[in-house]
Amino acid sequence: MAQNGQGTGSGAATGAQSRPAVSVSDLHKTVAVGFLRRKVAILNGVDLVVNQNEVFGLLGPNGAGKTTTVKVALGLMRPSSGSIELGVEGLGRVGYLPENPYFYDYLSGREFLGFCARLFGDDAATQHERVEALLEEVSLVDAADTHLRKYSKGMLQRIGIAQALINDPELVLLDEPMTGLDPVGRVEVKRIIERLHERGKTVLFNSHILSDVHELCSRIAIMCKGRVIWTGSVDEALAEAETLEDFFMQVVQA
Amino acid sequence: MRQVRAIAINTFKETIRDRVLAVIVIFALVMIVGGLWLGSISLGEQGRMMKDFGLATVTGFGLIVAVFIAAGLVHKEVEKRTIFVIFSKPVSRSAFIAGKFLGLCGTMAVVLAGMGLFLFALVGILDGHVSGMVLLAVLMVYVQLLAIMAVTIFFSTLGSAILASVLGICVFIAGQLSQNVLSLTRLGKNPLTEALSWVIYTIVPNLSAVDVKAGVVGEQTLAWGQIGLWTVYLLAYVVVVLALAALVFRRKEF
Repeated sequence: MAQNGQGTGSGAATGAQSRPAVSVSDLHKTVAVGFLRRKVAILNGVDLVVNQNEVFGLLGPNGAGKTTTVKVALGLMRPSSGSIELGVEGLGRVGYLPENPYFYDYLSGREFLGFCARLFGDDAATQHERVEALLEEVSLVDAADTHLRKYSKGMLQRIGIAQALINDPELVLLDEPMTGLDPVGRVEVKRIIERLHERGKTVLFNSHILSDVHELCSRIAIMCKGRVIWTGSVDEALAEAETLEDFFMQVVQA
Repeated sequence: MRQVRAIAINTFKETIRDRVLAVIVIFALVMIVGGLWLGSISLGEQGRMMKDFGLATVTGFGLIVAVFIAAGLVHKEVEKRTIFVIFSKPVSRSAFIAGKFLGLCGTMAVVLAGMGLFLFALVGILDGHVSGMVLLAVLMVYVQLLAIMAVTIFFSTLGSAILASVLGICVFIAGQLSQNVLSLTRLGKNPLTEALSWVIYTIVPNLSAVDVKAGVVGEQTLAWGQIGLWTVYLLAYVVVVLALAALVFRRKEF
């Protein structure tokens, strides 16, 4: 699945395995802001490759363009130029958790997941099975019939992860999945990401919590001012600095 | 189609459970009961007064519900970012607009049926016999409000929710008056004002054509063939306006 004309579009199912899970090439995005429609560049030529079945961390200070890159990948925004290509067949194989998710106040967790499942056109039996399995996976069985407006931030984050996985996606994009979670919640989300990796899925996540990135990711990219300024494995980063945090500061400040 | 249904059911659940809606409906019922008092000072015209005042109340409160919920429907999803969850799944923008509208149609049907049946019972008690005309009048109010809901949804895809609500109310008022204004300007024989009122008459939905309140209280005989045709026109109007809303929404970035 490609965004913009430069992408080559989707290939055969067999080809999908050999293609990178996400391939971004010279991606630019400019938006018009304010009354005078002043142009502001958010992405200034992002190049990025995420391989199949890796847990990839997208790091960077606030405003670096991480979320915008993901939004362009999902078609929520159109690229100004460049291309972004997903190695899966359509959005049906992608899961996405937005940052600080908010869902429908007057739906229960179970109803919300059922709704998400129906958007993929699943039949009733599959829907029910997926919803119950995911409620179990994110430890929300007891709160499944509570309205979402009564959920805590951590619970919303977990139901958000559940909706991202409702279609059993091959590629999972998580925007700040650990934000707002207590230590128990964070461990649970980390276990979920690990299990996804074990099941051969690709996970791309944005995070500011570098210890989690260190623990989970095989490779990382650091973005700053709308560009990827460093890509490599966590081990490579740690060879150059004592901690990931130190390395991050070095790269961003340079 | 499954997606439209899923979004419609979700919208219905979300809107019907909103407490503000319950408050508005209760207030409307109290107002309808207040018609009893107005009837008591109307010198023997209690039944007629009740119908007149009751139907005006149903229309007024129906309009408030239609306009304010319709304006927030799309806007809230964008503002609260639930739209990310929906459009990161394989859901088309047209399916989203259609689903939202149909869900609101369901909510509106429940609201008007509740108010209409209450008025029907009250008029029945006052007159000593039941009159299906009251229910028919409420049904025609429903048809009018469908057009207003579609128009408000269209405006909400262009700008803010408040602006959409205000414009929705303006179109309702213009729709009630446009036919009379056109007839009046034709009498005046000024080509400019006649052309202007013809443009307004063409653009805004002709709501007065399906208004049967005067017939219900016995002031007018009703031409049902014409009312039927105008109903078909209003439904076609709804389809066109929703298609325009989908077209605008397609170009939106989130």
